[in-house]
Amino acid sequence: MSGRITILNQPRVTYCGDQGLLLEAAGDLELATQERIWALNEQVLEWGGVLDTQPGMNSLLVLLDPDANDVTECRDRLLRAWKEVRSTARKGKLLEVGVVYGGEGGCDLVDVARYHRVDPAEIVKLHANAEYTIFAPGVSPGFGYLFGLDRRLFIPRRDVPVMRKVGGVVSIAGAQAILGPPRKPDGADLGPTGWHVIGRVPDVPVAFDLARDPMSLVSLGDRIRFRVERIEK
Amino acid sequence: MIEVSQTPPLNTVQDLGRFGYRRYGIGSAGAMDRLALAVGNCALGNASGAAGIEFQLFPVMLKFRVDTAIAITGADCAATLDSLPVPPFWVTPVAAGQTLRLEAPKTGARTYLCIAGGIDVPEILGSRSTQMRDGFGGLSGRQLQPGDILPTGSRPALRFRDSFGFGIEPPDSALPPNAHDWATDSDIVLRVIAAAEHDQFDSASIKAFRTTAWTITPQSNRMGYRLAGTSLKRSDPTEMRSQAIVQGVVQVPPSGQPIVQLADGNSAGGYPKLAYVIQADLWRLAQASPGRTLRFALVSLDDARRARAEQAAYLKDVSRMSGYCRSQVQA
Repeated sequence: MSGRITILNQPRVTYCGDQGLLLEAAGDLELATQERIWALNEQVLEWGGVLDTQPGMNSLLVLLDPDANDVTECRDRLLRAWKEVRSTARKGKLLEVGVVYGGEGGCDLVDVARYHRVDPAEIVKLHANAEYTIFAPGVSPGFGYLFGLDRRLFIPRRDVPVMRKVGGVVSIAGAQAILGPPRKPDGADLGPTGWHVIGRVPDVPVAFDLARDPMSLVSLGDRIRFRVERIEK
Repeated sequence: MIEVSQTPPLNTVQDLGRFGYRRYGIGSAGAMDRLALAVGNCALGNASGAAGIEFQLFPVMLKFRVDTAIAITGADCAATLDSLPVPPFWVTPVAAGQTLRLEAPKTGARTYLCIAGGIDVPEILGSRSTQMRDGFGGLSGRQLQPGDILPTGSRPALRFRDSFGFGIEPPDSALPPNAHDWATDSDIVLRVIAAAEHDQFDSASIKAFRTTAWTITPQSNRMGYRLAGTSLKRSDPTEMRSQAIVQGVVQVPPSGQPIVQLADGNSAGGYPKLAYVIQADLWRLAQASPGRTLRFALVSLDDARRARAEQAAYLKDVSRMSGYCRSQVQA
């Protein structure tokens, strides 16, 4: 396990094979940078020949129709657009959820506390004191990747993924946090993860519903606060 | 309509994939071997985005409830129509009441059934593909089960020059294997483009990636393939931020054993990326079953463009040839 995060001195655009481009911002992971990523995303969606886009943590994926674009030209255009784009600050709505930390639903809390050589209650305090911003979509429809984790809670991803319960799980890894969506009614109980699961939200709201308008409960820029319901052994 | 009389799990309705919904974290899904699906649709004169069925497990038994025409592409699964053999990559008329049986293929991994007019399940978020991980698309968001009835799109009947149908040139004869200095005849060679973290790997790892064989492990499915081989290491491993990722990306988790993300793969992740399999070679990977060995050949964006053009030309040829073998009956 390593203890540091990759930080670029200069923004860069790399090829995603022959499918598109990945822009990565320079510097520390920051809200101001992400607000520019969102603004760039809006701009790029107006370009011709763009099949899809997806923000990451201070990064943006642009999928291109290879027959409608000169990929090398797009690469230069994306970097130019990034240097010029201004942030469009958005004060998103706030969602507050109650977390049962530790116990069976947050079985990695003790290990995280041991890694940082503090009491589990200290980890909970640091985690619940912060306000998190939804920075980017997650691996499936839900609450996305969260920014705002206290630097003192930095912990590398696992070398080998483990199986953990799914459904409203509260996890941390690297400098990031996530809140998992509810378990699907006919879905699996367990899922593989390289993250550290420190708690669970028993009544986590439905994050995504095709039959609802809007389908997603939250948008990029919305904020999440974790309230301590209780800490279990 | 098609009645699914017998099917194991993991067989699903798929089209070319779902694009434009990554802002929700929704990946593309779609056929693993998009070329096999596309060529089947081409041969039938369907729209290129028509949905078909992807078969990963066998045996399968389907009963047709309408007079129609089908194309069977992808892995050779010793298909029989009312006990008459149907060769692989074949287009044939079928009559209502006929039964199609598919057995486990000896080589290759996935077989596709295309039908005139396509499988007509509802289009959800721009696609008919089954989004297994999120439970929507395809037939009720799930894999096929015995007893399922699949609606098919309406299309004018096709008239065949020969009542037994006609064959399509398979992609592995139209598109010859890729060259590789170290590959043996049994290896599958995939062309790759270097990814953002390629240069962070130590020189021994980069050399091993390009020269040695990689075995597809049993932990390989529509989400991705886990490969076994030399352990790959970065010279200066640092923790990465989560980013959006695409299918075909070769990631290297801390175990040092690469993972290739595929059709149902994660739409985001934080493992370092070594390379991307070019789009024109994803079908080769889709047809490679566990136990097979892969080799990676580093190519340029221009090479990838040429490979796509070759594939487009192949599909165009199939369309043209198929046009001689069948015609649309005018109403």
